[in-house]
Formats: sequence, structure tokens, C-alpha cells
Amino acid sequence: MLDKRLIDIYKKRRAKWPFIILSLIIIHFFIIIISLTIGSTYIPLIQILEIFFKRIQIISGISMQVLDTEKINEMIIFQVRLPRVLLASFVGGSLAVAGVVFQGIFKNPMADPYVIGVSSGAALGASFAIILGIGYTIFGSLTITISSFITATISLLIVYNISRVGSRTPITTLLLSGIAVGIFLSAIVSFLHIIAGEKLHALVFWLMGGFSYAEWRDVQIIIPFLCFGFVIIYIFSRDLNILQLSEEEAAYLGVDVEKAKRNFIIFGSLLTAAAVSVSGLVGFVGLIIPHIMRILISPNHYILLPSSLIAGASFLVICDTIARIILPPIELPVGIITAFSGVPFFIYLLRKTRGKYKFFE
Amino acid sequence: MVRLLIKGIECYYGSIKALENVSFSISDKEFVGIIGPNGSGKTTLLRTIAGVLKPKIGTVLLDDWDIYNLKRFEVAQKIAVVPQISSTTFNFTVSEVVLMGRNPYIKRLEKESERDFDIAEKAMRLTNTLHLAERFINELSGGERQRVIIARALAQEPIVMLLDEPTLHLDISYQIEIMELLRKLCKDNGFIILSVFHDFNLAARYCDSIILLDKGKIFSIGSVDKVLTHENIKKVFNVDVVIKKHPITNSLYIIPITTLKANEPKGIKVHVICGGGSGAPLMKSLIEMGYSVTTGVLNLLDTDHEVAQSLNIPTVSAAPFSAVTRDEYEANIKMIEKVDAVILTATPFGQGNLMNILAADEALRRGLSVIVINEPPIENRDFTNGEATKLILKLKEKGAIFVKSDNEVLQILKELSMKRLAK
Repeated sequence: MLDKRLIDIYKKRRAKWPFIILSLIIIHFFIIIISLTIGSTYIPLIQILEIFFKRIQIISGISMQVLDTEKINEMIIFQVRLPRVLLASFVGGSLAVAGVVFQGIFKNPMADPYVIGVSSGAALGASFAIILGIGYTIFGSLTITISSFITATISLLIVYNISRVGSRTPITTLLLSGIAVGIFLSAIVSFLHIIAGEKLHALVFWLMGGFSYAEWRDVQIIIPFLCFGFVIIYIFSRDLNILQLSEEEAAYLGVDVEKAKRNFIIFGSLLTAAAVSVSGLVGFVGLIIPHIMRILISPNHYILLPSSLIAGASFLVICDTIARIILPPIELPVGIITAFSGVPFFIYLLRKTRGKYKFFE
Repeated sequence: MVRLLIKGIECYYGSIKALENVSFSISDKEFVGIIGPNGSGKTTLLRTIAGVLKPKIGTVLLDDWDIYNLKRFEVAQKIAVVPQISSTTFNFTVSEVVLMGRNPYIKRLEKESERDFDIAEKAMRLTNTLHLAERFINELSGGERQRVIIARALAQEPIVMLLDEPTLHLDISYQIEIMELLRKLCKDNGFIILSVFHDFNLAARYCDSIILLDKGKIFSIGSVDKVLTHENIKKVFNVDVVIKKHPITNSLYIIPITTLKANEPKGIKVHVICGGGSGAPLMKSLIEMGYSVTTGVLNLLDTDHEVAQSLNIPTVSAAPFSAVTRDEYEANIKMIEKVDAVILTATPFGQGNLMNILAADEALRRGLSVIVINEPPIENRDFTNGEATKLILKLKEKGAIFVKSDNEVLQILKELSMKRLAK
């Protein structure tokens, strides 16, 4: 061991990382394909591939004779299932990355978009937009996203400023004020339920979280937020690693702690708001996925961020697929499934490893 | 030449003043220790110099750079800190933690370069942590973790290293190893090292100079001999210490004797006739219990003499290895005249110190209480062919109290002082 060079040890370990990401992507791809076949009508894998193949040919200008049943299936795939699966992927990825960020900066494994009141803030903005009906008018769903982002950021800034002591933000006060503000915002949302009138149903269903009404428009909204947010967060991933020491030590190691925290808060809220605005309140993804990835792979954010992104996407696609097939013809809100499937698995892993983070290391 | 200049800094936590008008300068290759009681501002001083706490007044200059005008990463390239406690929420490996020391040199979007790995590896070799590379930081022992944190600080390639009690969790072997390493880095690489110490002896042995802080102010600053004096330590720490030059390391070593507020003065004066170390524990106990103590005649260089000096006991001294002279005997009697009781310890007697038995005899004649510790019995420590034995036994006839231990002496003195109080 002593004559082994540090760089070699490290290279050997890092060499695994691209394979981990690649495997996660392949697994996710299969999950998507399987999810596309399942539903009220079963569409065989071969047919899905044919539909995709034809769509490519149509795009490239080659016209072909199309059968009626195929046309219906094609409609189901392109207008219903594909946007839904993709939206679930992006929302899952966003929430998982937001979870990594919040757990990272608050150095608390319990921190997730819910705990610090960001989700409640986003939900409040979205609820306003829905009740006022502007969600369906001016800029379409984008209004909900923008309104969510504004209230999410405002709520986080309120939390941040309440918990601020001098120029510092101690973790304990931050979490406590996060919970307090979250409860307060939830109370406002509950109040909105009462005055919602005819929009109550839409509001409640949206809040429970789900992808039943997923449209391409929603996918178009979340993609730029996710890409932009993730890239920025990934650029700062080394800071997130160093912030796992005390804030003071991070400062000694050259991290501008307050600036880094501010960036992470803004982009974490952005991802949360984008996810909440298109899918309502879907819980547990941001809490569980980072944990599992930390245990299975590494707490190093270089690898933790991308792996959580993909695993979060896979997780939510699986949960959504279960939600729409488990009690036909009723579709359950996906939040119920994420809680039911995620929590036991999480407890199992926690018991098994007893807090020791190693599996593949 | 590099110079760290601290100019009149004044720091506050809220409205509480933590540091007041602290100024000093350190040049490269200097190893400076900070000592002071709890809450005297030692850690605050380190945090201020590290740039994470900005003083209200004053500044810190490193090579004419005002460190509060530098960016965090620029400061981290120059100043490394080894904090007292270091922990991570999630479990990183040792190599990941050491590589974090390279952070100030790595730009965004860049990964660690070959050079960064070389520097980290060198730092780990120096601190003997390379074999821990793949272990998890939270699974290490306190000492191992401390060495890893020092390796991380070395990986920063700093000019200044600030350490907050670097040897707190370390075994004695690693204490020495780490201090030797720091000293070597300081001298060979021209580091400026500023370290907080709780252990005076470690500070005395490794530091070039020492800053003694008290209540946020510099109480004393300068060379080890100048700062670590009996008076300074007594004033700042409220502890009596013995300070000696160690015969092997030739550095000062400091042994605390007792806290000053130990006991109310008893109002009874005691004269101890001793020698050869036979009176040292008794004198210490007497002082601690609040008696006023005098002693004599003692030869210079005698253990008892040195102890009496460090306890600030008035002493009649004789030249080293010489017989007690007539003058010294007289001086001793003069001292005995002022006391209530005389104690004769079980010291060996030769021709040189026979006069001391006569002094006890004189005390008896003047009606003072004389207590003789005769364990081991005088026959076993008589080097005068029976002369001393004869004199001692005579004391018994004349009414001296014979006892076997220091404790009995203390018991008799206690009764004496009770009687005195009753009167």
C-alpha cells in the first residue's frame, strides 16, 4: 500500500465513475421503454420501436402507409405516454439534484426541498396562479413555473434572513425557520383551498402531485430550467464537497462560503420550483435518492450529482408507472407511490449499512 | 523575506470585545506559540489572521498584502489553518480530504492535475498518512484524523500555518513527531508558524517566541524565557509554577505547584530544617495549607533549596557542598526566633549540617515546639559516628515531639493552630 501512488489509487476509483453513469443511463433507458409499453392498452415493444422508426422516416420525408390501429397507438405514445415519462424523468432528476444541494449546504441528511420550506413556497405560487386562472391564460403553464420560482425564492430568502446571525447562517436556525415558514405557507395554501371554489379539484389534484395531464408543453418548460440549474450546480460541485466540512474550514480552504451558499440556494430553489410547477408536490425523491446514491456510490459530489440526477429520473418514472397501472382505471397521485416505495427501501438501506457509506468503494 | 504583520486589531463577537489592540509581527522561519487561559482570545486571534473574522479596527498584512482585501482562495493559497475539531457530515476518504487542500489552486471546471496529486501525496508522506489514503475520515482515530488535517494544510502550500492546539488528540510519540515536523517545515521551507498551545512545556520546547494572551490583550510577548516566567504565569493563570531548564533538552519546563486561592492563611509560622529532598513534599503541603514557612540552613543546589526557591520560601542558604558556617547558623536562629514551630525532617546528617540539629536544640531552649520526623530512624542516616544520633536523642529528652511521617506533622500543626484560635 505504501509504495502505491496516490494518483493511481484515485484514478482507479474514478475510472469506475463513467461506467456507473453509463449503466444508470442504460437502466433508465430500459425503464422508459418498459414504461411506454405498459398502460390501459398494452403496446408491444416491437410496435413501439416501429413507431419510433416510422416517425424518424416521416421526419426525414419518406412517406409510408400507416394502419389505423397503429395511428391510435402512435397517438398514445407520442401524445400521452412519452411526454408523461419524460416529464417524470425531468421532475425526478430535478428534485433529486435539489435534494443533494440542500442536504449538502445544510449538512443535514434530513434537508430536502420540503424541510426548508421551498416546496411549500413553490406550491403557494403555483396555487395562486391556478386559482387566479392565469395558469391557463397569459403564458400558459410557464406562468405557474415563474410564479412558483418567485414564491419559492422569496420563501427561501425569508427563511435565510430569519436564520441569519450576523453574516452567517447557522444550520440549526436555518432548518427551524424553514420548518416554521413551511408550515405558515402550507396554512396559506390550505386557506386557498377554501376559497378556491370550482378550481378546488384542480388545485388539490395538482398539489397531490402527478403526471396525469402531462403535456409536451410541460416538458418544454422544465428542460431549460433543469439543464441550466444542473450545469451551474455541477460547476460548483467541488465547493459542495468542501462545504461538507464545517463552514469555517471551508473558508480556510478558499471557499467563499456565503456566496457559494447563496448560489446553491438560488439554483436549488429554481430546480424545485420548476419541478413543483409542472407536477405539484411529489415528495421523497429529494430525500431518498441522494441518500441511496451516497450509500451505493460515493458522497463525492462529482459523481453524486449526475448519478442522483439519473437515478431520481428512473425512480420517478417507475413510481409514476406503478401509479397509473396499480388500480385501473383509477390513477393514483404519484406522491403516494413515492412515499410507499421509497421509505421502506430507505429504512432497509439505513439499517443494513448502519450509516457506513460503502458498497462499491 | 516574508513578514506577517498584525496591526492593532480589535475584534468583537456582537458587543463583546474579544481582542483589544493586538499588534505583533512574525518573520519567516519563526515558530510562535500562543498561550493564555480559556477565553483569552487565542482562537479568535487565529480566526482573525486566517481572515474569516474581520477586525473592527486594525488589519493583518502578509508581505504588504492586506488579507482582508484578498479573495478567499488567494488567502487560502497563503494561509492554512489546522482547526481544533474537524469533521464531515458525509464520509469522505482520506485522500479526498487531503486533496481538498488543493482547492485554492484548482479553477472551476478543472479537475485535480498530476501536480496536485504529487503535492497531496508528499503532504501525506510527511505526516505518515499515506497508508490511510482509502480509509474513511470518520472512521479514523483522533490522532490519525489530526495528521490528515495537517496533511491537508500542507497540501495548500501555505506561507503561514495557523494551528489550534495541533497535538490535542495525539499520542506522545505523535506529539513529538508532529512538532518536529512543523519545526522542520518552519526552518527548512521558511514557513511562518503560529500555534495555540495548552501545554506550556511543548510550547517552551518548540517555539522561538511566545505570545501570552490575557482577556483579549497581549500580556507579554517575546522569547520563551522572557514570557514564561513565574510572575507572568501567576498573574495570568493564577497558578504557582516551578520553571526549570531541562538538563537534556535545554528548554524550559514548567510544573504547576498549586493554585493561589488554595487555603486561607493559618497564621502559624513554621520553620523547616531539612536537606537532600527530605523536606520538599512537606514544604509544598505547608504552603498549600496556608502556613507561613521558612527554611534553613540549606546548601545551594540542594533539592530542598531549589524547591524552597520555587515556592518562594525565605531560606538561609549556604554555599554548595560546604559545611554550615557560624554566620549562617546565627542567621538561621534569627529566622527561628520568629516562628511558632520548628520541624526537623529525616535528612541524613554529616559533619556539614550538624549545626542544624543544634539550631533545633536552641529552638527548644527558647520554648518553641519542635517536631522531629524520625523515619527512617536517625541511626540509619547518621554519617557522624554517632554524634548526630546523640544530639537527636537529646532533643527527645528536652521535649521535642517525635513522629514518623509528614502527615503526623500536619496533624500536630493543625491542633496547634486550633489551640491558637481558641485563645
